[in-house]
Amino acid sequence: MSNCSCKDDRIQALDAVLEECGHDAGNLITILQNAQEIYGYLPSEIIYYVAAQTGVSPARVMGVATFYSQFRLEPVGKYLIMLCKGTACHVNGADTLEDVISNELGITNGQTTKDGLFSLKTVACLGCCSLSPVMMINDEVFGLLTSDKVISILNEFRNKAEGGKDA
Amino acid sequence: MKIVVGQGSCGIAAGAGKTYEAIRACMKESEAFELGSTGCNGMCFLEPIVDIYEGHRLLKRLVNVDAAQAERIVSAVRENRLEDLSDLAIRAEDEQFLTQQTRIALRNCGIIDPVDIRSYQERDGYKALEKVLKTMTPEEVIEEIKVSGLAGRGGAGFPTWFKWNAARQSPGEEKYLICNADEGDPGAFMDRAVIESDPHNLIEGMMIAAYAIGASEAIVYVRAEYPLAIIHLTEAIKQAREAGYIGTNILGTDFSCEFRYMAGAGAFVCGEETALIESLEGKRGMPRLKPPFPAAAGYKMKPSNINNVETFANVAWIILNGGDKFAAMGTENSKGTKVFALTGKIRRGGLVEIPMGQTLRHVIFDIGGGIRGGKKIKAVQLGGPSGGCVPEHLLDTVIDYKALGATGAIMGSGGMVVMDEDTCMVGMARFFLDFTSKESCGKCVHCRIGTRRMLEVLNRIVEGQGQEGDIELLEELCYSIKDGALCGLGQTAPNPVLTTIRYFRDEYEAHIQEKHCPAGECRDLLMYYIDPDLCKGCTACARKCPADAIEGQVKAPHRIDPEKCIKCGTCMSNCKFGAISVR
Amino acid sequence: MEQIRITINGKECIGQKGDSILKIATANGVYIPNLCHYEGVKDYGACGICLVEGEGLPKLMRACSTIPADGWVLSTETDRVKRARKVALELLMSDHDGDCVGPCSLNCPAGTDAQGYIKQIALGNDLQAVKIIKETNPLPASIGRVCPHPCEKNCRRRFVEQPMSIAYMKYFAADKDLNPAAGTRTYQPEPAKPTGKKVAVIGGGPGGLTAAFFLRRKGHEVTVYDAMPEMGGMLRYGIPEYRLPKRILHREIAQIANLGVRLINNVRIGSEGTSEAFRNAEPITLESLRKEYDAVVVAVGAWKSSSVGCPGEDAEGVLGGIDFLRDVALAVDPYDAEGKLTRTIDIGRNVAIVGGGNTAMDACRTAVRLGAENVYVIYRRTRNEMPADEEEIDDAIEEGVTFKFLTNPAEIISENGKVKEIRLQVMELGEPDASGRRSPVPVEGKFETLAVDTVIAAIGQKLNPAGLEELELNRKGIIAADEGTFRTSLEGVFAIGDATNKGADIAIAAIGEGKKAADVIDSYLNGSMIPYQKPFVSEREERTVREELKEKGKLPRIVMPKRSPEERRGDFREVNLGFAEEDVRREAGRCLECGCHDYEDCRLIFTARQDQIHPERLKGQLHPGFVEEKLVTIERNQNKCILCNLCIRTCDENAKKGILGLVGRGFTSVIKPEFRDPQVIAGCKECLLCAEACPTGALKIIGKHE
Repeated sequence: MSNCSCKDDRIQALDAVLEECGHDAGNLITILQNAQEIYGYLPSEIIYYVAAQTGVSPARVMGVATFYSQFRLEPVGKYLIMLCKGTACHVNGADTLEDVISNELGITNGQTTKDGLFSLKTVACLGCCSLSPVMMINDEVFGLLTSDKVISILNEFRNKAEGGKDA
Repeated sequence: MKIVVGQGSCGIAAGAGKTYEAIRACMKESEAFELGSTGCNGMCFLEPIVDIYEGHRLLKRLVNVDAAQAERIVSAVRENRLEDLSDLAIRAEDEQFLTQQTRIALRNCGIIDPVDIRSYQERDGYKALEKVLKTMTPEEVIEEIKVSGLAGRGGAGFPTWFKWNAARQSPGEEKYLICNADEGDPGAFMDRAVIESDPHNLIEGMMIAAYAIGASEAIVYVRAEYPLAIIHLTEAIKQAREAGYIGTNILGTDFSCEFRYMAGAGAFVCGEETALIESLEGKRGMPRLKPPFPAAAGYKMKPSNINNVETFANVAWIILNGGDKFAAMGTENSKGTKVFALTGKIRRGGLVEIPMGQTLRHVIFDIGGGIRGGKKIKAVQLGGPSGGCVPEHLLDTVIDYKALGATGAIMGSGGMVVMDEDTCMVGMARFFLDFTSKESCGKCVHCRIGTRRMLEVLNRIVEGQGQEGDIELLEELCYSIKDGALCGLGQTAPNPVLTTIRYFRDEYEAHIQEKHCPAGECRDLLMYYIDPDLCKGCTACARKCPADAIEGQVKAPHRIDPEKCIKCGTCMSNCKFGAISVR
Repeated sequence: MEQIRITINGKECIGQKGDSILKIATANGVYIPNLCHYEGVKDYGACGICLVEGEGLPKLMRACSTIPADGWVLSTETDRVKRARKVALELLMSDHDGDCVGPCSLNCPAGTDAQGYIKQIALGNDLQAVKIIKETNPLPASIGRVCPHPCEKNCRRRFVEQPMSIAYMKYFAADKDLNPAAGTRTYQPEPAKPTGKKVAVIGGGPGGLTAAFFLRRKGHEVTVYDAMPEMGGMLRYGIPEYRLPKRILHREIAQIANLGVRLINNVRIGSEGTSEAFRNAEPITLESLRKEYDAVVVAVGAWKSSSVGCPGEDAEGVLGGIDFLRDVALAVDPYDAEGKLTRTIDIGRNVAIVGGGNTAMDACRTAVRLGAENVYVIYRRTRNEMPADEEEIDDAIEEGVTFKFLTNPAEIISENGKVKEIRLQVMELGEPDASGRRSPVPVEGKFETLAVDTVIAAIGQKLNPAGLEELELNRKGIIAADEGTFRTSLEGVFAIGDATNKGADIAIAAIGEGKKAADVIDSYLNGSMIPYQKPFVSEREERTVREELKEKGKLPRIVMPKRSPEERRGDFREVNLGFAEEDVRREAGRCLECGCHDYEDCRLIFTARQDQIHPERLKGQLHPGFVEEKLVTIERNQNKCILCNLCIRTCDENAKKGILGLVGRGFTSVIKPEFRDPQVIAGCKECLLCAEACPTGALKIIGKHE
């Protein structure tokens, strides 16, 4: 961690997690989840750090970090759009929504807009099938979507971000 | 009186949180009534739902309640003038959705406060655990479960008692009881609802099972995508521990067992039990070779037993009511009830629990109210990526492991997605293969490369590039993958393709031979077109088009640029003159 | 220990209770195909190749990990198992982006291991190189000079700058071998011990000589009969001296004779001997050869020139290309230092050659050397469509030949029965035909006339079936030989080369058939004929190769030094001067080594060949691939990786290092050493167990990188 400029609260928080998890390899997934919570993604230094702290080889930590779709090795935008592509959403037109979002933001699945505002990620199922098609932006779920509705939601978030800047 | 707002995940997605807050804001310091919250009663199509109780008696059920109604509701309750709210009350027709169900696993859902243990205890909560610990031997518990005929609700339908017994008989001091709550089937959310709405029921069922097999620790492996379920579970574990249902010398007996959960990190394959165990051990969730089976060497290579959430959710009820009462419901080889997540093009979508042996038609039409928007039903998909599509003419098939298996579909974990005539069945098969190929762990060749090749063939078919012989190629791949894949994910991945080929071969042929999608869904095979005779040049379509693909002067016929068109259909739904059609 | 008995593929096997099916099968000598199993490493179950079906058991089982119960009856050959295994192999091969053998070798009709001998040349082992070449071709010095080298057309180096100069490197090595340095000897293979079987070969051209060479090496007694005064066939009488000095050919043929092949010239089958020695002997017929020999190989070639096919072609001075070249060849003394003719051949001042192939080039350049002042090549398409070698065309132009493209003979006009003029129809290119070549169409009314003394028709050649009347011919009047076995309509008679099937082709094609036929005939003589079957090999997709080679550093192709055009017009001495040694070594170093180092030991290709597989039908996206060269002493080629995880597993279990791991999930997962941190790579103790365990060529042991 010598070259990491962030030996700060975050690393202390991670140390606390490691302590709580007993530095146990068996808790690797939980440790990585917490690390991602703290850093927003899994920087490579953190992967090494966790490897050293748990005694798991870095190759193995990397293997776990890239196996599960929850983990990210790159930072994401301010607003993470998780577009549900579950069966019910599929039947109710989620593919079209993906095109609409891609078109509107100029990004495809897995990408982040140049201004760092939005990231788009399609997910298997958010479990809100009765409101399909559904998307989640950060922690907020939006259901019964249409193309129009998606665009107006994105605009709301844009305005919110600009408002934030002014304030 | 008490106002109770349903705050399951779908309720919140529909705005229940805002409704709850608005009601609370309208309430004064000292009201004669309370405000409470409950989980999901399964009527997702009516969310947000507000129930008004007098004691345990439901006085009125208000549906589709947005925050703006809060003021009215609060004053009506305050003044005891519930009749003022009749415009918000559930319609008699929609009530059928619940009245036709028989609820065991979901018996408390939408009724109790999930994070209040007293609320659970009031409905006989933890009495079964007490009965088991104080009056039954583990063998007697297993025997009771055997009598009930309870089978694994995760999809495979393996007899629960058998697994418990195997784990019990397996030599070793250290054993584990694991709950598979990694509900990964897209289109299924039964387990989420149980954990969110009745977590203590899961805990109680698991503790009983832990006692039966002799486990020293019980672990729930829960999907990370279910944050609310995790919050409720965490709280319930805390309460159960405080109340002495978890820990050492439970209820004063010799039985000790710890309880914890672990959040998964997003991998469908972890629904496979050996992959789940690998994940639980902090590794990549890749299935193990069997043998050894988990009952002999599972988590930490110790004897382990894994059941699904819904399976455990039935256990306490069986202990209290008797296995024979459970077995009295259902068919010869499928006992008790089953929970389904009814979704898709259905009018009343949500959670349905019914006794085995009823027909699919009954669930879809009598409970679900049939298809939305007057369209015709085409098929129903059961069992998600591992299951298959049952066509309309087989809807009288009864819900029974064997009978459903005979159609080529499976009972599955409970996803029931209804499709109408606008759903392309080739597209449906492609959808599932896209899912399984992305979720394949990559260990075995048949699944890793085989599902990818199947997806590629399906992709070319829906894109109008299908070739003569593709159907046969798909079938050959399907049968080989079923035979050769290492785990259940791969072995069942071909099912959606095989069933759609079996029942909708003509749709495949239309795509391949005529480059035509009969359902009009495959976007590469259709084109939007503005009829210049009908177009008034109102510009509505051009303004709404998200791709700027429509050009034209005001009051002159417009034109769609097929190069730019993303075929989203927005123009068609915004045209007031019916000038836009699909070819 | 308790024993159990199970049956696998009908064979009763005895094993210990608790052992896997695979273990019991192996102990009892029953082969169950498998890939990801490796002795001493825990089973993993990835490949899905070792599947077996048990009677009364619902699911197929993996033999590596299934513990059988006493009495199980198992099979690896039920339809279900075969289907699942075949698909598994096809899936694996569809995602295995590697070349078993170099594309050069694949495009060589004889399948010569070009990469193998180029490597030896690069190392300076010319003798070793010749040894490799002579496993497929007994005439490397000759073929190296004249071959149109299809190998080079397929050379991957063409995506970087230019293909390797493969043929000329062979020429270099073979010449070196013919003139060994002091203390070394020319490579001379030994025949196997005598089999007592006798084979007659009719025709001593490249095909016949090759069949004789390989049959003799297998221990059979071989006699070659040839109608001409000397052996070599078209190499001797069709290829001009200036391209292939006949003393070189003689020496290579002498080596075949040294092996113990009996060579008899001046015997035309079915007719009286053409030389004094045979003048009064009984004619040798196919029938008599069949009686005397256990097998007969017909390799008589195609010696009849096709005619021009226009009015006036019967005139004096209209020659067949092959006939013309043969006449000149008979007049050249290969040992004359000046390269002059032993007698004059008068073809006049103006000569027109009709045709665009290599025979036309040989004829026009020969005409130049005979003193013709104006030599024309009449060809109905353009240079782009010419089948002749680029280099031959360039040489002809340098030597002053005039090309009349887009013209076609309309009429040969003669005076007193002798050719005077040739009238040419002017052509233009029309639409491409089925073969993709644009076919020429006449421009109506447009003609041109050339004054000529001789017209040479070099537009094709055919079999002269005289003496072979008993053999069934195909519709084109050519001997019909079976594709895989070379059998003709007569028992024990085989036919190869220009005389068969598709007709005239290049020398290396006849050589390829000679070798294959020798193998088939050998099996025939041993009692059970095994047809030749092209072995299945893995081939890379061109697009991935192109992508990969984008960054490759350019190294120019070596150029063959030649005598000046002015000089060479005057005689028949060899045009090529040969490579300098240092240039050849450098050229050999350009080889990209496309073929796999592991080809001989590859378990994947071995297993894939157990079944008839067609991976091309499952062609699709490839997993992410890359070649990583800097991992200590191992080069990892992810393109070839089949994710059996044996490298990871040996590293974990045997080396106890855990350096390698899977990254990603599913189809896109790859095996990576711990990323980015050199410290961890340094932890590798270079035990090489991973490379040894790899069932295919994904891991290659190389010298240590500094």
